[in-house]
Amino acid sequence: MIIDDERDLHERLEAAFEAISPRPAPVDQAVRGGRMIRIRRRAALAAGVAVVAAAAVFSVPALLHRTAAPAPTSPARSYTVTVQAPGPGAQPGEIATGTINGQRWWVVADRPGVDGASATQQDIIIAGPAAGAIGGNISIVPVLSTADSPGPVSFTAIPSGTAQIQVGAVRADVSYVTVKLDDGSVLTVHPVTVYGTRAVAFALPAGAGIADVAAYSRHGEIGYAVPFNQPRGLAWIVSWLRPGQRQAARASGRIASGRIASGTAGGQAWSATAYLGPWGICIPILDPQPAEVACVPSVPAPVVVLNLDQGGAPEIAAGIAAASVARVVVTQPDGSTASVRLVTVGDRKFFVFVRSGARPLRWVAYDRAGNVVASS
Amino acid sequence: MNARTDTEFREFMRARWPAMVRLAYGLTGDQGHAEDVAQAAFARAYASWPRVRRSGDPDAYVRQIVINENRNRFRKRRVAEQLTDSALIDVPWTDATRDYDERSALMTALQRLGPRQRAVLVLRYWLDLTEQETAATLNCSVGTVKSQASRALAALRQAADLVDGGLS
Repeated sequence: MIIDDERDLHERLEAAFEAISPRPAPVDQAVRGGRMIRIRRRAALAAGVAVVAAAAVFSVPALLHRTAAPAPTSPARSYTVTVQAPGPGAQPGEIATGTINGQRWWVVADRPGVDGASATQQDIIIAGPAAGAIGGNISIVPVLSTADSPGPVSFTAIPSGTAQIQVGAVRADVSYVTVKLDDGSVLTVHPVTVYGTRAVAFALPAGAGIADVAAYSRHGEIGYAVPFNQPRGLAWIVSWLRPGQRQAARASGRIASGRIASGTAGGQAWSATAYLGPWGICIPILDPQPAEVACVPSVPAPVVVLNLDQGGAPEIAAGIAAASVARVVVTQPDGSTASVRLVTVGDRKFFVFVRSGARPLRWVAYDRAGNVVASS
Repeated sequence: MNARTDTEFREFMRARWPAMVRLAYGLTGDQGHAEDVAQAAFARAYASWPRVRRSGDPDAYVRQIVINENRNRFRKRRVAEQLTDSALIDVPWTDATRDYDERSALMTALQRLGPRQRAVLVLRYWLDLTEQETAATLNCSVGTVKSQASRALAALRQAADLVDGGLS
């Protein structure tokens, strides 16, 4: 036999495989196995929640937008993206569908609090070849809501394969949202209501930048956002500006770099850079890959300390301090105390340190006169 | 999972069981292994059935699980294979009478391929997935699919059992 063409191979494979006579479908065994998987999964989820709860002690959840970033990809050079609202007959929870370079994607929200999500979470299902997920990827995110959002749309960035998915909860007065991409093209997305929440979604290649996002009511523009386009990663839509509002100056600077000595990320090199601009303040951990980013729209307190996970446990923390802060002393969970090095970027000071454990730490900030200006 | 969705899963599994076993058979070359892989895949599908339904393509979802299950199976086997320096599959596929008919020759040639090449052939030339779909299913680049398919086809063409066996 000579395999001389693909059709021939198909027919031979078909004949070989069709000759197989499987035993009757072991449905009951599969159902029992599936139930056991569900039980184990819930047990694992409960263990994971305990870790998150411990980490949340130090962070500022209301301000913080963070996630693990996707593996680095080359910046998207040339791409064509489309987005459209679900059509008639769409499945429940579908927010949007579209294409990237002709390949389809779609985003579906699950009902909050079901199928592995806690009461404050819901599953976002991302599917389609454009998202590297023919069978669907599941991301558990905080319940879509604009309650704590500083703007008309509260976006969550989700990596999926070589794509980035932006899912947003939309305020009631928003009629539509425009997304201007770095290649000059503009997407217009219309909210749909899923499980009582108005939502939008769109997908881009990872590394594709967003120039700005604007929300419109029936009467005109409500506000706009300039995202932080993480190098080789996601676009972070955090701060919103009123139409015509002056944008904050842009600045960036390396805060610190090093190598974690031990723990789950032992031996891993890292570097942290602060980016200030109209998006707020973002601190990605880099080197050599984007691994984590934390963004805050503003820092009203003299000092804010953020956790930046690296490899699972909260092993790196970053701090943002007002310009008036001259010294910050951190007491690690193991009891050791040290002054952290402050680096000025723009009109803020930043510091980064490797945590010695996951338990709570304490810090005290002083001004030049030695007065305590803030403490944990 | 309520009674309705439970029933729905059971109907889906009964309908798709033969196809998934055949897919697993293409990947493993052994009907016993294939049925084990397919059963494990359906169990995983049951555990996430609401999500599977919402993916819009349950068949593709379960197919993906079958491929992942088979990949895991190879990972577990790798140590034993390195220790024994045996072929990738311990027991070469033969039919009960050891008569090398066309089917057994093809399956033997398939088993001599690496698992990635075999998966590419099965997805591309049996399931007729596009190169893009195959790449997405195997979580690799389109270029990898092309190169693996090319090498796999070349290996099949050169397989002694297929070329010299007088089976055409």
